[in-house]
Amino acid sequence: MFDGLLMLGGGLAHFFTPVSLFNIAWATLLGIVIGALPGLTATMGVALLVTLTYKMAPDQAILCLMCLYCGAIYGGSRTAILLSIPGTPASAATTLDGHPLALQGKAGTAMGLATTSSALGTIVGIIALALIAPLLAEAALKFGTYEFFWLALFGVIISGQLTAIDDPLKGYIAGILGLLVAMVGMETLHAHQRFTFGISALGGGVDLIPAMVGAFGFAEILGVMKRTAQARIISSGDRVIPRFSEVFQYKWTTIRSGLIGTFVGIVPGVGEDVGAWASYAAAKRVSKEKHMFGKGSQEGLIAAETGNSAVIPGAMIPTLTLALPGSAAAAVLIAAMFIHGIRPGPLLMTENPEFLYQIVAILLFSTIAMLIFGLTLTRPLLTVLQVPRERLMAVVYVLCVVGSFAITQRMFDVYVMVGFGIIGFILREMKYPMAPLVLGIILGDLLDLNLRRGLLLTNGDPSPFFTRPISAVICVIIILTILMSIPAVSTRVRSIFTRGRGDASAQG
Amino acid sequence: MTTDTPAPSETAPEPGMIKADLLAGLFFILLGLAVFYGAWTMDRLEVRRIHPMTVPGLVPGMLAIALTLCGTILSFRSLRTPAAGGWQHLSGAVLSSAAARAATVMLLALIYTLGLVGTLPFWAATGLFVFAFIMVFECWLSEPRKPWLKSLLWASGLAVATATVVTLVFERAFLVRLP
Repeated sequence: MFDGLLMLGGGLAHFFTPVSLFNIAWATLLGIVIGALPGLTATMGVALLVTLTYKMAPDQAILCLMCLYCGAIYGGSRTAILLSIPGTPASAATTLDGHPLALQGKAGTAMGLATTSSALGTIVGIIALALIAPLLAEAALKFGTYEFFWLALFGVIISGQLTAIDDPLKGYIAGILGLLVAMVGMETLHAHQRFTFGISALGGGVDLIPAMVGAFGFAEILGVMKRTAQARIISSGDRVIPRFSEVFQYKWTTIRSGLIGTFVGIVPGVGEDVGAWASYAAAKRVSKEKHMFGKGSQEGLIAAETGNSAVIPGAMIPTLTLALPGSAAAAVLIAAMFIHGIRPGPLLMTENPEFLYQIVAILLFSTIAMLIFGLTLTRPLLTVLQVPRERLMAVVYVLCVVGSFAITQRMFDVYVMVGFGIIGFILREMKYPMAPLVLGIILGDLLDLNLRRGLLLTNGDPSPFFTRPISAVICVIIILTILMSIPAVSTRVRSIFTRGRGDASAQG
Repeated sequence: MTTDTPAPSETAPEPGMIKADLLAGLFFILLGLAVFYGAWTMDRLEVRRIHPMTVPGLVPGMLAIALTLCGTILSFRSLRTPAAGGWQHLSGAVLSSAAARAATVMLLALIYTLGLVGTLPFWAATGLFVFAFIMVFECWLSEPRKPWLKSLLWASGLAVATATVVTLVFERAFLVRLP
């Protein structure tokens, strides 16, 4: 316990230098701007910034990426409130109550509450990260090759299930496609080249960063430029800094949404958008002012913004302790960590325990920066929203090209970016989620290697995959998840429960 | 997750999307079968006497089966769901002005990435791309169209600025040899 506090102090002191504070300030501000601009998402911003931070020291590079990530998730709320367009997918739930508040002349109040809620949500998540991550890392040391196989599969399945709630089948297909992409290139057990078709550039497989820049950058540009309608900005001159009573009034909503967001963050590959929707739905269910939801409810706005921001620290829990990305942006962070020689996973707490607390410190500093910028820079951020997308997207595409080229300096990566952009756009148009695809690419190698290594260790006997306790539990969860996504099964299970409840109330 | 999640999930699927699902399902079946063939015929490294359960084609083969299965379910589901006028909806969506805008972005991006980059110096290719992109979308494909003189000035200014800044920052600060 004291070790943890000491290391947290060390982490805070480590970044309390002029250079670090400067990096925190610009990266968070850049994040807010990226988040606020429709069409630029947090994942895209983080993926593009990896290139720019390539030459930095590892701690400063991760600092910039994390601050941009936090800033962007918050920045999306600005657009959601003023334009009724979510700046990032994470702010979709914010539009429901944020924009009606702006229409009622309370844009300032909405922006202020979104800022404080985002900060509080991140803090709830940070506390969970500092408490849960060391315990999970210790537990993860018991995980062997069998458990890691199931964890990789669980990540892809659960991400497929939760990011495409209305149609899990499309989520699963996206996950399988991602896993298939990961099969390209040299496999690690016998060093055999798979599906390279004699192309030497495919020998090392498909790099995650160009694929992400394509799927989240170029695909997003195509999606934004497709639309013709321009939204009208609604703003008002009311106070932005909220009163203490306004924030304190919904303390339980804040805590509940923070916890839900953190939990959603822990679930692999399920990101901020699901965190926001889940906390919004929970807040609506227990609220005394249900009728106000969707018509400018402050509680709804607080729930959505707390929920999406709490996902960020939550997502860092599996990212750091199991190397399973908690969200799409966390997948890019894992790639960036590998580039900088940091190996996330169960050994992180043994090899580099101070790193976890440095992440906690970064998140704290970023929250403070977000709070300051969010409450003070109202006017300049309004100007950002007025940038015509025709001009912005041309420059963003150039950055996508340079960003994918710069890391390994080969044109092949640019072609990968273009390919993933076009395929990603078509898949998005057909309502396939991108997160399982990305998770598949990052977890494919882990799944393949651990399955075959496990079979090698047991001389071809698959039984330990089902008989070891942790393996068996994860396996059962996977089977139940898949079964529950089949409409016929889930309706039948639900009817059994409702019948049971009906019988009980009839007897009572 | 809860049933009262207000995500845009409660709307019924559009007829065009149901037909698009059928095409996608058939594509996934074909892709799955092709990958399965590739995995089945993949070198099993018998010369190196590896365990037959650890052959490199094992996981790709399993994934191919899963993809084929998912593709089949998607196709069957699409065939069973009534979608009156689905093909017209789908062709309407593919031939819409929105799709034309997306296709224009793709065309401009492909000309820039596959044609200009590598042929012209990077700064020139970038400048040309930014200029063309802004002019096309502001003076031709926007509704209402913007005054061409103003767009011309903006497009030229941004083209020069982007080409200069990106080239200088990446070549001088990050020491990247641009294509």
